[in-house]
Amino acid sequence: MNKWEYAESIESSSIVNIDKKYGIFIDGNFQSANSKKFIKTISPSTEEVLSSVTLGNEIDINSAVESAKEGLKIWSKISGTERAKYLFKLARLIQERSREFAVLETLDGGKPIKESRDFDLPQVAANFFYFAGWADKLDLSWNAKGLKPYGIIGQIIPWNFPLLMLSWKVAPALATGNVVILKPAESTPLTAILFAELCQEVGLPPGVFNLVTGDGTTGAALVKHPDISKIAFTGSTGVGKYIQKETADRDIGLTLELGGKAANIVFNDAAIDQAVEGVVNGIFFNQGHVCCAGSRLVLQEDIHDEFVTKLEKRMQSLRVGNPLDKNTDIGAINSKEQLDKITNLVNEGVKEGGSIFQTDCELPQNGFWFKPTLFTNAQPSYRISREEIFGPVLTTLTFRTPEEAIEISNNTEYGLSAGIWTEKGSKILWAADRLQAGVIWANTFNKFDPSSPFGGYKESGFGREGGRHGLLSYLKVQS
Amino acid sequence: MNEIKKTYKNYVGGKYVRSESGKTFRIDLKNDFYEVPLTSRKDIRDAVVAAKKGYSNWQKLSPYNKTQVLYRLSEMLEGNFETYQQLLQDAGLTKAKASEDIHKAVDTIIWYAGMADKWEQMTGNLNPVAGDFFNISHQESLGVVFTLNSNNQSLNSLLLNMLPALTVGCAVISFNEENSVIALKLAEDINNSDLPGGALNIMSGKFELLIEDVSNHVEITAMAIYKEINNHDKKIIKENASKSLKRIFINPPTMGLEALFPFIETKTVWHPKGR
Repeated sequence: MNKWEYAESIESSSIVNIDKKYGIFIDGNFQSANSKKFIKTISPSTEEVLSSVTLGNEIDINSAVESAKEGLKIWSKISGTERAKYLFKLARLIQERSREFAVLETLDGGKPIKESRDFDLPQVAANFFYFAGWADKLDLSWNAKGLKPYGIIGQIIPWNFPLLMLSWKVAPALATGNVVILKPAESTPLTAILFAELCQEVGLPPGVFNLVTGDGTTGAALVKHPDISKIAFTGSTGVGKYIQKETADRDIGLTLELGGKAANIVFNDAAIDQAVEGVVNGIFFNQGHVCCAGSRLVLQEDIHDEFVTKLEKRMQSLRVGNPLDKNTDIGAINSKEQLDKITNLVNEGVKEGGSIFQTDCELPQNGFWFKPTLFTNAQPSYRISREEIFGPVLTTLTFRTPEEAIEISNNTEYGLSAGIWTEKGSKILWAADRLQAGVIWANTFNKFDPSSPFGGYKESGFGREGGRHGLLSYLKVQS
Repeated sequence: MNEIKKTYKNYVGGKYVRSESGKTFRIDLKNDFYEVPLTSRKDIRDAVVAAKKGYSNWQKLSPYNKTQVLYRLSEMLEGNFETYQQLLQDAGLTKAKASEDIHKAVDTIIWYAGMADKWEQMTGNLNPVAGDFFNISHQESLGVVFTLNSNNQSLNSLLLNMLPALTVGCAVISFNEENSVIALKLAEDINNSDLPGGALNIMSGKFELLIEDVSNHVEITAMAIYKEINNHDKKIIKENASKSLKRIFINPPTMGLEALFPFIETKTVWHPKGR
């Protein structure tokens, strides 16, 4: 299908310097860990080994907690305005070094440079700017008595938006006067390590930001540590439930941002071409590695054929390949493990009877890739219609009446996000009131902003990140 | 004269019901004793069904309407002042303390009644996003909430445990142990206050017999525990809750805006601006 000449435009990776090995960042310094085990972090687009990072163990977590305790002593004596200055300085430094961060994010995670450069990094800086300004206005934020920081926060973040999720967690936690121990995802630790270097550069007091790399065992050690007063986790619903269970015998704060299976409803009175764009952006953004991805297209029956024809044509124009190429729309799947999961679910969808459409494109030889995929007539009972695939796979269901659209959309244990496409304002408000989801995009999708609260209903978790509401995730009400 | 004594029943789905098990337990007050329902596991499941229905009817009333319904409850309470006074005295309060408690209870209802049409303005806001979007966050009620009420022999305590969730539009299963007589008496006024059936259900029993069923029930969205419970029970509740990510609140605040926080969640809606 590639009929026209194509000239690639590769972003140079020479801007980044990656060490062969990294320790953990505690007491304001990189140190070698107690654990002598390392995890190789690879580039999912080439399978080339980029670096080895520490597989932090329980003793490393203990050291991080000791460091955080010292950090808290200093941080709790600093005024809000002084905390704000550190965060503003971090925001500026991130802007200044954003190209370096973007390339590193793309190398380590496989996402298109177009997204890491134009979406992730600007949002990261914006998060630090936004929450910096709250640090000295907490008393004005909510008309509630006794709001106090928790103390030491354990934060565990996923691999889909590594640095952005760091900023969603770290910026509000520090602004509200807490200190942090961060455990980045096993497959994408490098931008968090670079962030730790920035903390040194701005002179953030030692122990205020601590970083322990590792895998699920490292995260579990963090969750179990008795001196952690709050866990903020973004990841799968399965692990979220584990964390709630594991912390059952402690008085501990929890923010859980978990999975989703968002409906993207297109009514027959929608602006169809815009809706096609929105649906494509809703599911293929970041290879579909998005918890709030619009993974279920809920389409009014009478526009089904027209819409699907346009959608398939638009999908065909998506460019899959080298994420460092500035023209790439869809980069590499983050890991072999995730690729296997997507492949299995899609194979099962075919077996169950779904009609599959995949774009005609050449995939690179090395690395992990998956073609943009659309299932039509995917019954609500199919696993592909119910489970979070976390990949570039869209399923389709049709409806006749608006009531039916709402019923289909809410028929899931998830409740993170939803999309509504119609040109009729009253229908948007009607549907938005009825959809059980924490974020609703009307005539748009996958929009984010530091000032806009994000988080789920039902089994998509609890607590909000972003905005004035996000502050409450890091301030406890003392009765 | 031979006095006739009232049988107190659970109040579920707008009806007075005995426990399907037929079981009761005895509450001894100073001058009198009462046999109140020993709520069974089946009773809890029935109450959840009733509360779900009550939730859809209560939540869809306008805030203005909710305010009036709650205000009516205070009118009912005031009208039965002497009965409550007697009951509270029987429960061990002095006459003066009993009146004070009832006056406080009325004030609590008045405070919450006036909150029903205001909390959304205090908890929601426009978000100043960078871009041409209208973006607003407002709050919605969680759904069916189970409250384990304090054992205080106090009408005011009871209302402080029920009203935060109810005011924001949740349906409440209000569970009582030692204060059951007062709670079940209150059910009569609730019944007369135009609250849709099932929005507020009042039950008596022993929580320890139901802890597994309540904390495992996936259609109870949240539990608020307003009395001291031991660590072992806390652990059971939270472990079971994790199966469906049920929201658990141990001793949450009972007054102020913060009393409402546990029972609401934020919905944020985006729409582009354009011509």
